[in-house]
Amino acid sequence: MSTSVPALSKGLRSGIGDARRRLDAALNDTQIAGRPPRYYLTGWRFGVLALAVAALLPVTRNGALLATAVSVGIYVLLALGLNIVVGYAGLLDLGYVAFFVIGNYTVATFTGGIMLASDRVTVLHIPVVTFWLLLPLAALLAGVFGVLLGAPTLRLRGDYLAIVTLGFGEIMPIVFQNIPWFFGQLGMSALRPNDVATPLGQISFNQSDPLNNMWFYYLTLALVVVVILAVSSLRDSSLGRAWVAIREDETAAAASGVNLVRTKLLAFGLGAVTGGIGGALNAAYLQAIAPTDFSFAISITVLVMIVLGGIGSIPGVILGALLLRYFDVSLLGQINDAVHRSPLVAPGGSPLHFLASFDFNTSKLLIYGLILLTMILLRPQGLVPNVRRQRELKGIGAAIEGTSAVGLLEREGAGMDEVAADTVGTAELAGSGSDAQGREG
Amino acid sequence: MTAPEAPASDSMLLLRGVSKTFGGLTAVDGLDLDIKRGQIFSIIGPNGAGKTTVFNLITGIYRPSSGDMDFDGSSIIGLTPDRVLRRGITRTFQNIRLFNNMTVLENVLVGQHVHYPGNLPAVMLHLPNYRAAERRAHERALDLLGFFGPSLVARQDEYASNLSYADRRRLEIARALGSNPKLMLLDEPTAGMNDAETAEAVRYIQRLRAEFGLTILLIEHKLQVTMGISDRIAVLDYGKKIAEGLPAEIQRNEQVIEAYLGRKATV
Repeated sequence: MSTSVPALSKGLRSGIGDARRRLDAALNDTQIAGRPPRYYLTGWRFGVLALAVAALLPVTRNGALLATAVSVGIYVLLALGLNIVVGYAGLLDLGYVAFFVIGNYTVATFTGGIMLASDRVTVLHIPVVTFWLLLPLAALLAGVFGVLLGAPTLRLRGDYLAIVTLGFGEIMPIVFQNIPWFFGQLGMSALRPNDVATPLGQISFNQSDPLNNMWFYYLTLALVVVVILAVSSLRDSSLGRAWVAIREDETAAAASGVNLVRTKLLAFGLGAVTGGIGGALNAAYLQAIAPTDFSFAISITVLVMIVLGGIGSIPGVILGALLLRYFDVSLLGQINDAVHRSPLVAPGGSPLHFLASFDFNTSKLLIYGLILLTMILLRPQGLVPNVRRQRELKGIGAAIEGTSAVGLLEREGAGMDEVAADTVGTAELAGSGSDAQGREG
Repeated sequence: MTAPEAPASDSMLLLRGVSKTFGGLTAVDGLDLDIKRGQIFSIIGPNGAGKTTVFNLITGIYRPSSGDMDFDGSSIIGLTPDRVLRRGITRTFQNIRLFNNMTVLENVLVGQHVHYPGNLPAVMLHLPNYRAAERRAHERALDLLGFFGPSLVARQDEYASNLSYADRRRLEIARALGSNPKLMLLDEPTAGMNDAETAEAVRYIQRLRAEFGLTILLIEHKLQVTMGISDRIAVLDYGKKIAEGLPAEIQRNEQVIEAYLGRKATV
């Protein structure tokens, strides 16, 4: 390959063109098959802008802001992962917290423990096991558990699938709580520094040192970008199409060569992987975890993020994660203060005065439930919808299937035989008289 | 390995004594079928005779309660539908089961799912072998759509639900061809079509055999279609085969006539 300047610059330009296309594809759930995008906010330009803003955040030297940003980043990872299971494959998983737990405890096991009197009691400290090893290990373990927990659910639909996954989500924290190895309810704190060694020095999460915050933040941001690219890559692949196909019509998908078991397990496994990554980051960030930190609340939080932002839409679930975390960390407190200070809740001020003693901060889940209901009733496709999901949820495509009798009846020249053939049940009831009912034609 | 009385080498699909009961209900009763390579073989019979059940048995949606099913010499009992497809048997559905919220092109691409590399890294990272498969699949998809003329190709980016009824039938066939099958099961391919569309469908079914080297197993209600197109016909009634033979023989068969006249749906 020539190394002349024109050749290099051509290579650079085509490389940039490729990167632009990748970024476009990554964020463009609002586009389908050669049509122009409907939401220009999610094109590659927006991606570059968002990335620039995110990259410059540490300039503010605001440790608390960066801490919040890391937390947001972790939830973005969780939302992207659950989006694979719920958004792409259409499998309602209510136990996603299980994978988050696994990620947390993977890191904690090798770096954490408790202090008993003046003794440090640890689980499994092997000096060579650094965070760089623990991160992929957490991802791998979570992925394995994703497959394990998904396997029994393969023949289940709808409600039953949700219930079983919910059960697994409940079991996981309790398992860690009850195995003495993991110190039960005491949880674990970092006895060995969670320092992430990089060529530029140690990254540790030390809130008093803005520089350390910064590197951990960049690590989180880098992981978020990688996961976005990976997930969009999957979405636009044969596997992504297979997921849509099994969502549309499992029977037709299988008849077209899609292995239902493998495709569903891949959804569970890959979705779980980001849960593990997020969990590992979380343990490193918090430096102390306990089983009581993990509950169904986390599973439902991530689900609400997805439903609010846009099921099956990458920019959508990112927006959902941002909004909900902002709400949780900041807005909720402000609402609480505002209501408590307003004259409406002064005694005798209005019928609303009972709100004076109502603490909004504890009503987080109530509000999430309201958000979930509102979205599902009014705008099930979410704020930044995926085009295909929007069609499905508005029932455009669904109107055709299952009414081929109607389609046939509307057609000129459709004979009675053809109608009967397509509506086997009705034909039997009408024409068979005393013969056995419900036979296949 | 081959039975002395029948040359099994050109038997594509062999069903021997296949039965299927659902609880107390016998949907298919001791069915024998021998479909030869390159044939267009039709299964006809009144409503409720068990014809679609036979298709579902062959393609692995149901497992036979008893009997043997061999395709190209090896048993296909117990295979899941996607494995049956990989062996070379494809099908269309009575009620048309397209992926409505996918485009025409995407539907045909899913039909070629078996040609894509299975390993995750290739798929996730779009490695060169994956990209090559995708390119080939796109070209082939356009070829398959083009089999029916330019209209489906022109509408490749349309959602499948927006197509006309006849186009939806054609698309389902194009999708079913994606895996390079040897045997194609068509379940009432002319249902809901008027005479002109039916005649066109007959033509493209014959072209399917000629141009793709397919063996075709057909469920069809329109007797004029069946008689005109089939090499051989089997007649089912109440899950049992009551007649089999050449079209001319079937037309004259008294049991067949009685089965149809005596059971005609009076909707």
